[in-house]
Amino acid sequence: MAEIKLENISYVYSEGTPFEISALEDINLTIKSGIVMGIIGHTGSGKSTLVQMLNGLVKPASGRVLLDGKDIWENPKEIGKVRFKVGLVMQYPEYQLFEETVRADIAFGPKNMGLDDEEIEERVLEAADFVGLERDFLEKSPFDLSGGQKRRVAIAGIIAMRPEVLVLDEPAAGLDPSGRETIMRSIMNYKKRTGATIVIVSHSMEDMAKYCDELAVLSDGKLLMTGDKKDVFKRSDELVSVGLDIPQITTMMKLLADGGVNVNTAVYTVDDALAEIYKLL
Amino acid sequence: MKNISLGQFYPGSSIIHRLDPRMKLILALVYIVCSFLARNVISFGVLLLSSFVLIILSNIPMSLILRSVRPILFILAFTVIINIFWTSGETLLFEWKFIHIYLEGVMNAVFMVVRIFVLIVGTSLLLTYTTTPIALTDAIEQLFAPLKKIKVPVHEFAMMMTIALRFIPTLIDETDKIMSAQKARGADFTNGSLVKRAKALIPILIPLFVSAFRRADELATAMECRCYHGGEGRTRMNILHYSVKDFIWLFLVVAFAAGLVVINNIGIGYTM
Repeated sequence: MAEIKLENISYVYSEGTPFEISALEDINLTIKSGIVMGIIGHTGSGKSTLVQMLNGLVKPASGRVLLDGKDIWENPKEIGKVRFKVGLVMQYPEYQLFEETVRADIAFGPKNMGLDDEEIEERVLEAADFVGLERDFLEKSPFDLSGGQKRRVAIAGIIAMRPEVLVLDEPAAGLDPSGRETIMRSIMNYKKRTGATIVIVSHSMEDMAKYCDELAVLSDGKLLMTGDKKDVFKRSDELVSVGLDIPQITTMMKLLADGGVNVNTAVYTVDDALAEIYKLL
Repeated sequence: MKNISLGQFYPGSSIIHRLDPRMKLILALVYIVCSFLARNVISFGVLLLSSFVLIILSNIPMSLILRSVRPILFILAFTVIINIFWTSGETLLFEWKFIHIYLEGVMNAVFMVVRIFVLIVGTSLLLTYTTTPIALTDAIEQLFAPLKKIKVPVHEFAMMMTIALRFIPTLIDETDKIMSAQKARGADFTNGSLVKRAKALIPILIPLFVSAFRRADELATAMECRCYHGGEGRTRMNILHYSVKDFIWLFLVVAFAAGLVVINNIGIGYTM
């Protein structure tokens, strides 16, 4: 549905002061329509700045961001429309909740789009379904919910805008395993039903291996590598050298192979590893 | 928002940066007094010269200094106009209908501009530009320590100030994040009527207050976990020491003040 292309993107923080830091340098990246793109990198590698450029929250110092071939900064007054098309869920989005009820909070985005009440109501219910919020939650105050529930409300707030590209910065950070699972499943559910393009920033290589099609690796503001996840995880030495990891299960399969067991090491999820081991029996 | 630097501190290691913050506070006070001591052309000249010497010694770029003077340009202009048009004296320079401009008025205007400039430059150089806010708070706490004898909670005030200063960047950061998050949901803070824009602040203010209270709560718990119980018997990590150079500076600045008084008595030209 929507393809995003970054051309020669650079960005500098606090330009012209003693605190100047170069956040991104000459990034070229294409996020193809309908895929799940994972962005990985060490803390401070520029991931968050990069994803905030996708919907025009941060304007690149140089370079262009193309949404379906059109420069999003061509008409800066229209940048709001880009934000409805490219929905961004920021880190710890539960801290942005402010309305009296969950229903009103999810409706904030659609209301800003200028939709009528009927359409807003329909979208709120649909978004709540996507993230698995029961109907009786809608009348509660968002401040009375648990951390994981708040996170789901916040994500529903973005999904209610029906973005063609859904960008999530660490959507599962700080949640327990079942909370992570619920969040990731809601996102995949949205993708499956709408065909949207998904961009996920995460530290969890397991999640990345499980859900992403392609990966982009950032290190010190530069794009280290990008491509199919299999090709990226194959270069495990390089990943380790920039402080990243490969999925634990891949490490285990490698150890098995080193120990003389005849297994394929290009395995990135537990399910695939199981299948691989069954083959031996 | 990212560009707001707290308290304008400009990192460096100049002679002025390395002075004891307590001494800098005292020096700033004496220097303020100096700017009010000057009364004639020579003493104002010396005063202006001294502030340029301070600028050079502190190694702070002139552009930054001028930026700190910019907000008071209006006050400067106002002072000049009042002094030029409303001072009456003996030497009439210019006359047109009801406007009379006297030499004394022009001199007063120039003197006032120099005085305000020196005040701003002196205090910002000696204090805000070369001292971190935390060092400044420490200095205030120690200078006012004698007040503890009459039950003024000096330590508590200083701690509140430190914490407030410490959390300003955090809150700015937080505001920035919340604004971005609401913008991502299509919030518009720049367009529309005044009422509309005021209403647009609600989605920022509520999450900001919620998180400020949460932070305060967490901080209080963390401090209690580390057995914080006020200033009584508390030792400090950074103990401030006066060194010889601090006293040399004090001597120089006091001598400078005395010098100004002497110069004032030389009867040259107009005396304010």
